[in-house]
Amino acid sequence: MKRMAFPTALALGLLVLSGANAQQMDPFGKYSDPVTINIGLSIQPTDKLPDGDSADNNQYTRYIKDKLNINTVISWMAATGNDYNQKVNLSIASGDLPDGLVTLDTAQLIQMAKADELADLTAAYNMYASPAMKAMISRNPKALSGVTFNGKIMAMPSLAVPDDGYHITWIRKDWLDKLGLKPPKTVAELEAVARAFIAKDPGGNGKGNTIGIAGQQNGANLYATFLNSTNNQFGLDPFFAGFDAYPGYWLKGKDGHAVYGSTTPETRAALLELQKLYKEGILDQEIGIRKDATESINSGRAGIYFGNWWSGYWPLPDAIKNHPEANWQAYAVPVDKNGKYIPHAGTVSNQYAVVRKGYEHPEALIKLLNLLIRDEGNFDQNNGSINWFPLRVPMAMIDESPVTIKAMHDVLANPSLIAKYQGPDYAMYKLLKTDVVGIGSTKLKPYDKSDIQYWNTSDKFWSRGYSYFTGNTAINSFAFDKVYSLVYYQTKTMIAQWSNLKKLEDETFLKIIYGTSISTFDQFVKDWKAQGGDTITQEVDAASK
Amino acid sequence: MKKKNLTTSYLMMLLPGYVWLFLFSIVPMIGFTFAFQAFVPGHGFFGSPWVGFDNFRYLFSLNDARSIFFNTVYISVFKIAGGVLVPLVFALLLNEIRVGLFKKWVQTIVYLPHFLSWVILGGIMLDVFSISGPVNRIVESLGGTKTAFFARADLFPTIAILSDVWKEFGFNAVIYLAALTGISPSLYESAAIDGAGRWQQLWRITLPSIATTAVLLTVLGLGNVLNAGFDQIFNLYNPLTYSTGDIIDTWVYRSGLLNLQFGLATAAGLLKSVMGFALITISYWLARRFANYRIF
Repeated sequence: MKRMAFPTALALGLLVLSGANAQQMDPFGKYSDPVTINIGLSIQPTDKLPDGDSADNNQYTRYIKDKLNINTVISWMAATGNDYNQKVNLSIASGDLPDGLVTLDTAQLIQMAKADELADLTAAYNMYASPAMKAMISRNPKALSGVTFNGKIMAMPSLAVPDDGYHITWIRKDWLDKLGLKPPKTVAELEAVARAFIAKDPGGNGKGNTIGIAGQQNGANLYATFLNSTNNQFGLDPFFAGFDAYPGYWLKGKDGHAVYGSTTPETRAALLELQKLYKEGILDQEIGIRKDATESINSGRAGIYFGNWWSGYWPLPDAIKNHPEANWQAYAVPVDKNGKYIPHAGTVSNQYAVVRKGYEHPEALIKLLNLLIRDEGNFDQNNGSINWFPLRVPMAMIDESPVTIKAMHDVLANPSLIAKYQGPDYAMYKLLKTDVVGIGSTKLKPYDKSDIQYWNTSDKFWSRGYSYFTGNTAINSFAFDKVYSLVYYQTKTMIAQWSNLKKLEDETFLKIIYGTSISTFDQFVKDWKAQGGDTITQEVDAASK
Repeated sequence: MKKKNLTTSYLMMLLPGYVWLFLFSIVPMIGFTFAFQAFVPGHGFFGSPWVGFDNFRYLFSLNDARSIFFNTVYISVFKIAGGVLVPLVFALLLNEIRVGLFKKWVQTIVYLPHFLSWVILGGIMLDVFSISGPVNRIVESLGGTKTAFFARADLFPTIAILSDVWKEFGFNAVIYLAALTGISPSLYESAAIDGAGRWQQLWRITLPSIATTAVLLTVLGLGNVLNAGFDQIFNLYNPLTYSTGDIIDTWVYRSGLLNLQFGLATAAGLLKSVMGFALITISYWLARRFANYRIF
């Protein structure tokens, strides 16, 4: 209780401080004359709106019109992922940005800032950011420095909970139980479990149809990288970490200088092991080339996959629809040779909301985000997911997860605590007020067990509750070391040459897993260094000093 | 006086076409300036620093450069050859069938795949050739071992070429069938009277009559040697098959639209256009020489 009050106090302190050097305006002030903002919108093809609603006329835009007198106009929209990134790239290249957009790519942000296409948000942020937003940002000092160019704030960063950067292992516990196996800890134990799943076929899939370890799909990352450091669902990150290997990350070498994780002997060892697993048939035989990574999980053929704590949202709802008995549980494994789980950690921000240079109301973006932080919990997402909120970048308190888990357990044990968690002390945890109500409708007794049979899976709160009780609990129940990348952005030479080097890397690594001799790895390291890698390493070294 | 009026109206009718051509084909050509710049977005076509041939130099220093040009030519040459020969043979075979209904039926079915886009067909192919797909089940039931077909760089060009020929042969055969119906029946009748058999009729009458069509299609295809089929490759390839499947267009797409290397991508695209222009010029010359085909 005492600890929880701290952020509030900090926020108030900051409010006083910032009020001293900048004129503070009403963060939620309604414009007297209507203001129009043209935006580019990225949306999941699965995000549906109720009949009659549209991208520029839905519960969020109406609410924004009502509260702020801002009209939202959609300049264009595209599916989240490559489609959207392409659309943004085209806008950048043609110098034709809408008034506001959200980029999901640090490289794009840097391009736009360098091309002088963005509005300076420094004044708008100082004058209009709500105390809650300032409190969140101040707890993540790196967030603002990542969007500051030449001393000016050029974008509003998302604030991810650190959990999104830690990748864990999901295992079919019902299969473990059926075979009388214990959850694995080491890489060897994990392999033994996968081997048993295939040999004994606890899922009844028929001979040769079980996939020990599910694989990534074509076009997605085999492991998170310094540029896409979070939310790499179905990557092999935990497996690499089991070898103390962090491919795609910039690490500090033993000599104190920067070294690229994909070129280390640890990565070589992990690749060799993956090759062995592929050959043995334990690793998905179509890893990296299959069209859809969720297919083997949803069809009940896979026993293990690596990924994120929020799997209760994706892919598990479909997986349990097909196989209600599929008891997917999360484990912070495998451990390395010293018996430690050491995941890599992501950046604080992976999305950035920007305003085009020359737009008359740059503060409109700040106001929209103020509103989002204050009122996100009030919207019924059955009437359109929060992704429809214009220019949304998710912002979360850095300790949102541990606070949420504790609150959920507290109110299950003692419902009278709901009022406390909905009170002003917790206003910064924007979803907590609905969380403490929702968990009661989906979690069944016994409350300390997270297995699938102890949930009301048809409840709309299940995804969130299950994600917190399984995946999130796995990474928030103990303290562990983590590995950071020296940089999370592209240095000068990278801008021109990184894509070539990354292609070389992707191609080589996948080929090694599929059975090409490991000597290709040594050749790759040589080529990588010769084709610009050495220069880039020096730049990273200099940047990280 | 009357004639002049007519010319004006004809020119007026051409106008929309010219406007379209100007807006969508001529104007975008200004963008080739990117190939000679260290392109900074937002500075317009001429605002970025000029770097001469640096983009081209970097392009050729990459291992990719040779392989993408080779892959493009390799895949498309076989596609053009298959795209001329298979429909030709098919049309000849179909032409020999005397049951009208069956003939129409076959013809309709084989040209259906032409109307499916590669997005759909690519998805179907990935499934059909996947580890648990029907092809591998057949291989397994015959005692073979399963193969991840799309993980095999050595098989990729073959799969791409064969599937493209399969998709298009029914449609391309239509042109030959049209040419075949154009042959005067009196030729066959007089040949039959002279005692020529079916084979002799085929060699002496049918083939010479449609040879011009075949030659024309081949030489016109030459202009497309550098278009190996973006839609198809893009929907089928993956990092394992880059080495044999990556073509100029997919490479330009990745470097330009995905990796923001606008200058580099434009350089590769420009190079392709220049070479394509030369090839088209040659092919028109050949078409004129051997098939007496002329546009101008």
